[in-house]
Amino acid sequence: MTEYIGENLIAGQIGELLIIISFVSALIATYSNWKISDVSIGDASWKRMARSSFRIHSISFLGFVAILFYLIYTHAFEYYYVWRHSSSDLPMRYILSCFWEGQEGSTMLWAFWNVFLANILIFTTKKWEGGVLLVFASVQTFLMAMLLGIFPFDLQVGSNPFVLLREHPDMLGLPFVSNPEYLKFVEGNGLNPLLQNYWMTIHPPTVFFGFSTTLIPFAYAITALWKREYQAWIKPALPWTYFGIAILGLGILMGGAWAYEALSFGGFWAWDPVENSSLVPWLVLVAAGHLMLINRKKMRSMFSAFALTLFSFLLVVYSTYLTKSGILGETSVHSFADGLSGQLIIFLLFYLFIALLALFSRGWKFLRKTEEDAFWSREFWIFLGALVLVISAFQITLSSSIPVINNLFGTSLAPPAEPIEHYNSWQLPLAVLVTFFVGISQFLKYKKTEVKPFFKQISPALIIALLGTIGFEYLLQIDAFFINLLLFTSLFAALANADYFVRILKGKIKRGGSALAHVGFALVILGSVLSAGNKKIISKNRSAVNLKFENNENANQENVMLLKGDTVLMEPFYVTYQNRRVEDKYIYYDMDYLKVNTEGKYEKQFSLAPFIQLNEQMGNVPEPSTEHFWNEDIFTHITYADIENLDSTALDKYREADTVKMQVGDSLYTSNAILQLIDFERSINMDSLGLLEDDIALGLNIRASTMEGESFNATPIMVIRGNQIFSIDDEIDVLGIRFGFGGVDPETEKLSVLIAEKNRNSSDFVIMQAIVFPYINVLWIGCIVMVLGSLIAVRNRLSKS
Amino acid sequence: MKKTHIIAIIVIAVAIGAIISTISDAATYADFSTAEQFPNKEFQVVGQLNKDKAIDYAPEVNANEFSFFMLDNNGVEHKVVFEGAKPQDFERSEQVVITGVMAEDHFRAKKILMKCPSKYNDGKAEELIEITAESA
Repeated sequence: MTEYIGENLIAGQIGELLIIISFVSALIATYSNWKISDVSIGDASWKRMARSSFRIHSISFLGFVAILFYLIYTHAFEYYYVWRHSSSDLPMRYILSCFWEGQEGSTMLWAFWNVFLANILIFTTKKWEGGVLLVFASVQTFLMAMLLGIFPFDLQVGSNPFVLLREHPDMLGLPFVSNPEYLKFVEGNGLNPLLQNYWMTIHPPTVFFGFSTTLIPFAYAITALWKREYQAWIKPALPWTYFGIAILGLGILMGGAWAYEALSFGGFWAWDPVENSSLVPWLVLVAAGHLMLINRKKMRSMFSAFALTLFSFLLVVYSTYLTKSGILGETSVHSFADGLSGQLIIFLLFYLFIALLALFSRGWKFLRKTEEDAFWSREFWIFLGALVLVISAFQITLSSSIPVINNLFGTSLAPPAEPIEHYNSWQLPLAVLVTFFVGISQFLKYKKTEVKPFFKQISPALIIALLGTIGFEYLLQIDAFFINLLLFTSLFAALANADYFVRILKGKIKRGGSALAHVGFALVILGSVLSAGNKKIISKNRSAVNLKFENNENANQENVMLLKGDTVLMEPFYVTYQNRRVEDKYIYYDMDYLKVNTEGKYEKQFSLAPFIQLNEQMGNVPEPSTEHFWNEDIFTHITYADIENLDSTALDKYREADTVKMQVGDSLYTSNAILQLIDFERSINMDSLGLLEDDIALGLNIRASTMEGESFNATPIMVIRGNQIFSIDDEIDVLGIRFGFGGVDPETEKLSVLIAEKNRNSSDFVIMQAIVFPYINVLWIGCIVMVLGSLIAVRNRLSKS
Repeated sequence: MKKTHIIAIIVIAVAIGAIISTISDAATYADFSTAEQFPNKEFQVVGQLNKDKAIDYAPEVNANEFSFFMLDNNGVEHKVVFEGAKPQDFERSEQVVITGVMAEDHFRAKKILMKCPSKYNDGKAEELIEITAESA
């Protein structure tokens, strides 16, 4: 046995003990909550048992979380998880990201929010406590099982974050394992450079908080079906549902903000399978929340209300399955290593079975009893809206489940080659319907609406929206039909709800939550249409050299090469690549954006510094830089840069000289200047050059002018000594150019000029892309308004009850 | 006929439409020889970069053209031309997935997804990171 030095083994052992306690206590809490509900309500001893076991569960689980934090904080690289996801040079603000970067950590984050919510629910659920906490405790049991990391009968149950580095299967047999002092030289692997962004410290917790809240309406709905309390559950579940809508919506858009800021695909949404799998539960939750509203007083579409409520949580579990089982494999960057996929399938199937059992054993009768809603009633249009959301969710789920479909049916489909076009072709028309319904439904009354006054009420919004659409079309020159239509309907939805808030609700904030949330939602859609639908790539390749693809219509013209010092037109700007700066592990590329002023001179508008984050382990990552204006963003990122020859000695070396035949008066371009051969230089100081008396020396006056208007001179000299000819070179150090005078061709009388440039000159170029996103701020403002509106609505519901 | 029935029929029709469109928009995994048989169909080809042959990228001539030679999983080699900037760290890739169509003498790729080995464990455990590059 080797005695290892410096390991902190006790922390991990406590952690392993705590996870076992958490698992067992969650199991006991599940059983005791079952007993409370099973026997008559208010069975005191089971209730005490349930509560205290859940308390033990909460405390031991929080202890488990704290230990992992502590180990990351102290850089305890003897633990595989800590080694894998952090490093000692990582700034402390990213410690949270290290925590949930891995599979175990993200499960813990989810379980953490469940614990947080369950401890509130214990005090607020009253007679629903048994059922709701039963569901929570059972979910916690599944999650804890995923963290156990035990191997009964050679079967892996869960994976534990406290596996030691030297005991990890990947490390077996490596030399360091037998070195007792390995901790002296082991350094953590570090955090994925893409996650080193402040959005990444808040986006995952917010999304997981949203995921956790979907369990609350699920738990209420299951309890309601079980206890045959078909309507009473809506009132307590409703505020939580809207709270979940607000939080999950915020979390998803934070992910968009991160993608926009840190990823270089040029946008905030790319229909990536992982983005999709967080959007789908949100869409279904929104649909469920709206059906709960119309069923709260009278059962109209109760079956759908139950079904959607149950499915919003099931889709959260499905989404976890997609991202954690590794099934997305080749289609997404987010996939984790597999191993837990069996456990996740059992988790998913278990709740699917429970939900379907409850739904069909109790809910069937609602379907038969469904009563027709009047055409001109709010509930009819809300129902239609919910239906459209479900179709939208269905389409997204279907297309992002292609790997699952392949696995189930043995097909070999690949995900759509043009995902954005594929999804947009469905989602744009559906969004047109949803926003249109959002616009009209506030003015519709429950049960029956008088048609004439209704049209009178919505007409101002309709007219202004029409004018606004024409205005935007004029400004942005939009020609795609559905983009125009969606522009109109989303503008209409925003205006109609704002109008409703001002005219009907008289601007009373307290009651205006729903109207404001709808304004926000409509602005999010409007902002997406305006910015993503009309994004303009201004970095068009204007060079004459693009010959190989002349017969190809789709030739890509979105990237531009800029040499250092070059100024290139990117309408309406001229862009100059000024400088490259290396700071720590970042290489910044300073780009000046210029405009021509009335006097015809360049005037600097702003500078951007897109950069490349160097990362040995995980590959170098280019990150964009964006200038924000109130009405548009200018997004810039590096698509390619030569980062091989970065050290200064290599850069300062001259490359092999080119021999150029010139005459006096000729000029010539180098990478950074225009050269002109002015004339011969005959007055040469022979002594200072160490030349002999019999030597014949002739010089050339060469002037190099830069694009900025600076000039430099150089005088290379040709020396004839006997029957030998040699050159005394001259260089312009600032420009990195060296000149030689090689001789005169006796027939053509042309002069041989040798020109060599330093490596620095040519390797200092970048390929960049610049995109203008018009009115993207509408999207972010919409997001804030939507979240605030939903939270106001939640508060209003809570104060009513 | 009740409104509910009409709505139900529409919903079912739309759902079937969604299924059909997913299947028809999906690309197909294939090898080079299959791609050659159907010159205008879009395929995804999985394979490896041939590191012994030229990887051409001359941004000063055309920043949006980059070519290399790739071996598919059956060992068939083909020239691939990508209409975009060369992805950073391309030479390090272990596995390459390209999406595009077969042209006369080369495969014209619209999208490249590559997996690079990360440098931990002396390359023992092959942890792959993915990078995508897209054109147009």
